[in-house]
Amino acid sequence: MNYWRGQRTKCLELLCQIKTMRLLSVSAALVLLMLQAGCPTRNVTVAGSVPTPLVERIPASIGIYYSYEFKSFEHKEALPGSGSYRIDLGGQNLDFFRNLLGAMFAEVIEVNQPSVQEGDELDAILIPEIVKYGFLVPSVSTLTFFEASIEYQITVLDRAGQELGKLRIVGYGKAEGSMFGGVDAVGEATMLAIRDGGARIATELSPRIAALLADSEETNGLQP
Amino acid sequence: MTRHGAGIWLMTLSLLLSGCVTSRIEQSRDTATAMGTGDAMVILGRASYNDRETEESFTDCIVDELSSGGNPITLVPQKEFKDNLYPWFEPRIAPTSAEDLSRLFTESGVRDRMDESNIKYLAWIQGDTVTTGKGGSMSCTLSTFGGGCFGMSYWEQDASYEASIWDVDKLTNAGQISADASGTSYIAGLIIPIPIIARPGNAACKGLANQLREFIVGGG
Repeated sequence: MNYWRGQRTKCLELLCQIKTMRLLSVSAALVLLMLQAGCPTRNVTVAGSVPTPLVERIPASIGIYYSYEFKSFEHKEALPGSGSYRIDLGGQNLDFFRNLLGAMFAEVIEVNQPSVQEGDELDAILIPEIVKYGFLVPSVSTLTFFEASIEYQITVLDRAGQELGKLRIVGYGKAEGSMFGGVDAVGEATMLAIRDGGARIATELSPRIAALLADSEETNGLQP
Repeated sequence: MTRHGAGIWLMTLSLLLSGCVTSRIEQSRDTATAMGTGDAMVILGRASYNDRETEESFTDCIVDELSSGGNPITLVPQKEFKDNLYPWFEPRIAPTSAEDLSRLFTESGVRDRMDESNIKYLAWIQGDTVTTGKGGSMSCTLSTFGGGCFGMSYWEQDASYEASIWDVDKLTNAGQISADASGTSYIAGLIIPIPIIARPGNAACKGLANQLREFIVGGG
């Protein structure tokens, strides 16, 4: 009798253990699901100084058209194993370009349309665009730092609205990451990519834009 | 235990747990140097676009060492310097030799901006700390009855840095200082893990900073 009672108690204990194990596994799965579902998108804010370039001004009056896409550019990407990122670089990039292009030409006017309007006394219009943005984190690149690159395109239009040329450059930046500083490091790498792009525009594209404007001036001057 | 006793105990413990580091400092001088009143210097980390570059923490360490102590040197912060002379000291464009610097000075406004900051010397820091080897094994377990670590693990690190000092007035290379340090760190698992950490990067920083101070102020 006691033997059967003992066996029954053992059975109950075993059932209880199985139930507990099931409960634990279900709880663990639930916690994992909650963690995955609750894992928020990492919002990266790009911030940094906006230096004025120390370059010789091109003696020209330029209109700059910043499109809505350029002004509010943001990049969203989900990296396998690293979560989702939302990088808002439009504001900082716009501040940087306003300062950069303002120091590159004798006169700069921001225009609302990508064309010369009647009464505008402009030599040309520049339309900067972000063609491509990309970033890499160490878990993907297997390197020890975070990287970002931005491909810019600057379209140059003459005063008649004719396209003089499209110039492209790529800015690159990399930043060391701390143990929990992935978001900051992506932001820093992006800021360095903007700086690098700006440096290339000021030193490499500036003479090319000046040459395009000079050629256009010459051609227009020769026309009857 | 009194506060004094605790301090001695902590110092002894940190000495015991610090790994050995061997370091070597070498210097070559091309011209005589001197810092006058109001003269400043800038420490710049050489950035590159490959996978190895001077860590920001290393240049920060050099700056901390040079701007403190009994004979501090006036330093212009790297960020402020790069912003003032943007875009000429960005990684892609920065001069790689004193001759390049003289070419850069022909650009509009560069010489004036440099003079405004009273910068007499530029020191470019280049190098990195790498792990050259590692081995051993250690395993840790944790259970309801307790836990512990057993085994031993070690890694060797080699820190190699060089400072190139440029004279901004004479537009020449004033000299070079190199610092090499290596050390092996251990973690011994005797129930609790006991780390014995060697810091070759720190040793290279202190050695390089002291020699740089002597080089600039000492004159030659």
